[in-house]
Order: sequence, then structure tokens, then C-alpha cells
Amino acid sequence: MTIFKMTRRSALGMGVGAAALATGMGRARAQAKTLNILAHRVHQVSLTQGPAGDLTKPWRDANATEVNWATFDSNPLQDRLFREASLSSTDFGVGFLVNSRATRDAAKLMAPLDDLQRANPIEDFADIAPGLVEAMRFDGKLVSVPFRHATIGLFYNEALLEERGIKAPPQSLEELVDQAKRLTFTSAAGTPVTGMVLASDLSVFPVTFARAFGGDFISGDLKLVPDRGALEKGLATMQDLFKAGALPRTFATTTNDDQVTWIQQGRAAFTVLPFARFAQLNNPQQSKFPGKIKAIEFPISEALRGKVPFASVVEFWAMSILGNARDKELAWNFIRTMSSKAVTTGAARNGNGPVRVSTYKDPGFAADQPLAAVESKALAGARVPLPAFPEAARAQTIFLEEVQLAVLGRKSAGEAVGAIIERVKPLLPA
Amino acid sequence: MGSTVTKRQFAAALPWITPAHGLLLTVIVIPAVYVIWLSVTNSTFGRAPSFVGLVNYVKVLNDTYFWRALGNTIFIVALVVHLELLLGLGMALLFASGLPFRGLLLAAVLAPYAVSEVSAAVIWRYLFDPDVGPVSVAMKAIGLPILEWSIEPSHGLALISLLSIWLHLPFTFLILYAARLSIPRELYEAALIDRATPLQMFRKVTLPLLVPALVVAALFRYIFVFRMFSEVWLMTQGGPARQTEVLAVYLYLEAFRFNAFGEAAATGWIMLAISLVLGAGYLFALRKDMTSDAR
Repeated sequence: MTIFKMTRRSALGMGVGAAALATGMGRARAQAKTLNILAHRVHQVSLTQGPAGDLTKPWRDANATEVNWATFDSNPLQDRLFREASLSSTDFGVGFLVNSRATRDAAKLMAPLDDLQRANPIEDFADIAPGLVEAMRFDGKLVSVPFRHATIGLFYNEALLEERGIKAPPQSLEELVDQAKRLTFTSAAGTPVTGMVLASDLSVFPVTFARAFGGDFISGDLKLVPDRGALEKGLATMQDLFKAGALPRTFATTTNDDQVTWIQQGRAAFTVLPFARFAQLNNPQQSKFPGKIKAIEFPISEALRGKVPFASVVEFWAMSILGNARDKELAWNFIRTMSSKAVTTGAARNGNGPVRVSTYKDPGFAADQPLAAVESKALAGARVPLPAFPEAARAQTIFLEEVQLAVLGRKSAGEAVGAIIERVKPLLPA
Repeated sequence: MGSTVTKRQFAAALPWITPAHGLLLTVIVIPAVYVIWLSVTNSTFGRAPSFVGLVNYVKVLNDTYFWRALGNTIFIVALVVHLELLLGLGMALLFASGLPFRGLLLAAVLAPYAVSEVSAAVIWRYLFDPDVGPVSVAMKAIGLPILEWSIEPSHGLALISLLSIWLHLPFTFLILYAARLSIPRELYEAALIDRATPLQMFRKVTLPLLVPALVVAALFRYIFVFRMFSEVWLMTQGGPARQTEVLAVYLYLEAFRFNAFGEAAATGWIMLAISLVLGAGYLFALRKDMTSDAR
């Protein structure tokens, strides 16, 4: 058995060794910076996984920085972002902000980006959809850089359409209603099929139906129900679909995730989702109908077809620097790189909705992406479902409540629209 | 023997009680005071809070959604707590009377307590899916009406209650079963000698001795069910049209969807006051029982 004896020499050696180790660790620590990001899982995936690979790696290597993603679902993400930004300081540098929550009050919590953009500009900034950029400017200050858009389209299961002898997807809303009713049947595989599945907790769907008749819930200039008749027709159409069994009995509790599952499993023939969901819906590991789920622009009513362009619903996410972030330069460096043309195209290949107009014009990208042309066309005329204002969340909740009552047949479409106008009006900014 | 604590005794005890009191102060008292302050301010993200007095309390008490949520909460509390106590008592007596394969049956009865609420809600949503759910299909097959929980608010509340009972029955059952096993066998032997019928034995021996356990189980479940959130949120999100909303969901919407922190804080304090009123009788009975034991 060897007994270790502490001598002056060994004590000195150990001391020098410990000092060298501590210095080395200090250096290593200085090199290994971390950028904490508050995001939705979809943002992380589109920047790190997919055919284009990990797009953050060159940036991480060049800046000797690790990226730490904290991901949440949409509402909890916004809540966490605002709470972090309300503290005296935060470890988070970058946070993703959704358009519907980007109000003047929220903007006050984010760092203004204009000086950073002037000092170290994003490549060809004018190429990023100007409408989206403007929505992130408050009192003349840019607070967020658009990263991802989700423009909605009409998805359909080609195999189910063929089974019912329907040769082509609908060209008008009336045709869509007719096909959805015909596609409410039990398939040859024994699956009870519902014509269409929609979530009831998002305003995107009733707004889409209203826009198919040329109407809206709240317009960009904050006009409440600009065309009452159009919104009534939109709700009446949804009510008719529900009555015919072409919307699920569980409509009032159906969520976005349910929509995906129902389409993948062949339980519904049509749904309305962002074009970016195309890859997921056709994923052979999840879907019973890989390659058979197709998408088109949501069809407008026959009366307006060819006369008025359809305004698809678009939601978008943008990257912000939290106002109390410790290292704003590092955060800007990340945003700047992730907004470059190359990364935008790469993220689009990974399933992101690209915010740069040039991405859709890239011949390589367009050849790879079957929906590039239709998505680009829909995006050109797209508008957000409702503009951001302090009481937007409450207004949306009231809207959805009245929509549900109308669809379930508890109120007529006219009564529901009347209630929407009466109850939402006091919530709009004076 | 007197119970006066001398200064020296108090000083000696201080290091031992300080950690517990410090913990209570940091995790309960200080946050509670903060919430009281929040409830008298107009507060949201990006705006400095401003003092508004009792306006938030008035707003909440004038909100029809609050009263609907309160009604739904009381309905669920009454149904869940009392049905669960009845079922738990019945099962405890059944197990105590001697059952074959008791270990296996105990495991089966306790299993739902190990299931997470999220998994349970997903399972139940599928089981009761009106189109393809096995329970709905079976009910249709035997000519029974199905639960239209996504359309009819009363069906939704009933399904939420059933889910809650299924998840938490093991808790009530365990408390009552343990209490039943602790009743001395001699009491039943004496009752048998006195020629008591099984019903008389239940009324005169079992029930009186189970009352403290029943009160504890009821009190715990009153408190837990009153603040129920996950079962409702995961099953219906308070829908259709906010008609199955309970108080915790109402508070969640005010705080985390509408970012109205003043109203949310006021709702929290109103909830606390109501649950104290609801639980006061039970607390009183419990205190009486404890003090009589101490004498």
C-alpha cells in the first residue's frame, strides 16, 4: 500500500497545477459564451434540423457561443418573454414575438434595434416583407425583425377526394362546402370521415370564412366588422357545415394539434393550416397518407371570384432583443445572421415560412418546394387576422365565444355578429 | 401543567423554528402580500402599476363570467367531493370486509393516482369522442345517449367531474381505508355479542369512528377541487363558449391571456375567501375534534 506524503515540492507542484487549471478554466469559460433564446419549438427546429441542417452552427463556431433554446407553446412563450423583459435584468438575449401580441406596451419592453441596424446592418433589409417589418415598428422604432410567417391555405386529402369521385379541389367557397358535405362519409378503410376539421380556439378560421365573402373581424385600420353581411355569411357557412356533420361534433374543443392528427389519420378531408405544415402532414412516420395531402389557396366565394383578390390570413413571428438583456451586441449579431438571405432560405428548406421575397424567387428553392408558388401568391395579398391593440386578446376571446355559439346553433349568425359588434366596440382604442 | 414559555425557552427554540417560519414567510406570506398589492393596482406588461383601490374587486364581482365560473366550480365541488366520499367509503368497507386477490385489486384501485392529468385527459377525450370513442360507440350500440361534452355544457361538466373522481378516488379511498383498518376488532366483536345487525354496526361503530377521517378527506378534496384547473383546461378549455369555465380557468385567462394582473389578483383573493367560507364548517369540526382529543 502506497502512502502519499505531502512534501514542499509536491505542495508547490500541486499549487502551480491548480493555478494553471484555474487559468485554463477561466479562459475556457471566457470563450464559451451562451446566448439564451426564448422561442417556440418550431423556431428552433427550422434553424437547427431538416434538409438544410443546423444553420446556427457556423455562427456558434465563429462567435464561440453556445445557443440555449428555451421553448414554449405560443401563449406561454409570450407570457414568459414579457415577464423576463419586465425584470431588472435577464439572462435571455433574444425572444420571439408574435404579431398579435406586439402592442405599444409590449414594444416598450424590447430594445430598439435601429442603432444596431445602422451600425451593423442586416443583409438587404429591404428584401424582408415591408408589411411585416412595419408591423414591428412602434413610435418610429423597430423592435423586432420578422423571421417566420405562417400564411394559411386549404389542405385536402387527395386520396379521399378520389375515393368520392371528386376530380379536383374546390375553386370556390360554395364548391368547398359542397365537397366537404360529400366527404362526410365512412371511408373504404372503415374510418368515419368528417368533411372539414377546424380548431375553435383561433380567430384565423372564422376570419378566413368572412374574408371569402369580402369581410373581416377587425380591419388593419381598426374598423370593427367592416362588412357585417360578409361576416354573417361566413358564420352561417360554418354553421351549415356543422349542422350537416361536415365539421366535427367536438368542434368547440378542437385544437390546432387535433387538426393535424385528423388530417394525418384520414379522419377529415379538408383543413385550414399554414402552408408550412405541408411537410409534417405528409411525413410518412406520422401520416397515413404521405404525399396525398395537398394544399391550395383558400377559395373565395363564387360572387367575388376573379373580382377581388382573396386576403389570406397570415401570422408572423419576429426576433426581438429583450430591453434588459445583458449582451445586446451578441443578441443582435445572432438576429443579423439568422436574417441573412442564406439562412432564410436554409430555414425555409427546414420548414420555415420565409419572410424574404427573394427566397421564393430562388429557382433552387422553388423547384424543391411544391407549395412555393401558391404560398408566395397567397402571401402577396395576406393580412393578419386582427391588428394588435392592448385588448386584442380579450376581443379575440369574445369573437371566438360568439362564433362557437353561432356554429353550434345556439344563436343565429346575425345575432352572433350583433353581439360581437356590441361587446368588442368598447375594447377598441379610442 | 402551565404552558407559559419562558424567554430562555423561546430563545433556545428560535434556531429550530426559524427555518420553517422563514420558509413560510418567503413562499407564502410575502407573495400573498404582493398579490394583495397587485389586486389594488391597474397592472399589465409594459406599464407601471397604478393604484386603483377596490376597482378590480368591483370589476370581477360585476363580471358575468366570474359568476358563471363560480357556479360551475360549486357544481363540480359538490358532485366530485360527495360522490368521491361515497365511493371511497364503499370501497374501503368492501376491502376491509375481506376480498380475494386484495393486493392485485388494491394496485388496480390505486393505479389512476399514478397517471398524469395530461395523459388522463388525452385518454378520456379519446374514450368519449362522440364519433370514434369506444365508450361513445358502446353506449350507442346499447341504445344509450352519448355524452355530448363538447356541445352541452352540462355534459362537459359531468365528464370533467367523472375524470376528477377517477383520478383522485385513490386518495380518498386510502384515507378512509386506513381509518377503517385502525378501528379495533374488539368493538365489532362486542357489537356481535350484543346481536347488532351489519347496518347497526355500520351506524353505531364504523361511521362515528370514521368521521374524523371523512372530515379530513372532505376538507382536502374541497380545497383541491375548488382550485381545479388542469382537468377543465385539458378537456374543454372552458368551452363551448366559456360555459364550462371554473374559477381557476377564469383567473388564468385574466392573468395569462388578457394580462390583467390586477383583476387576476383580485380573483385569487375572492377565491380564497369563498373557499374559506365553504371549508369553515369542516375546519370548525376538525378543530373541535382536535381540541377534544387534547383534553
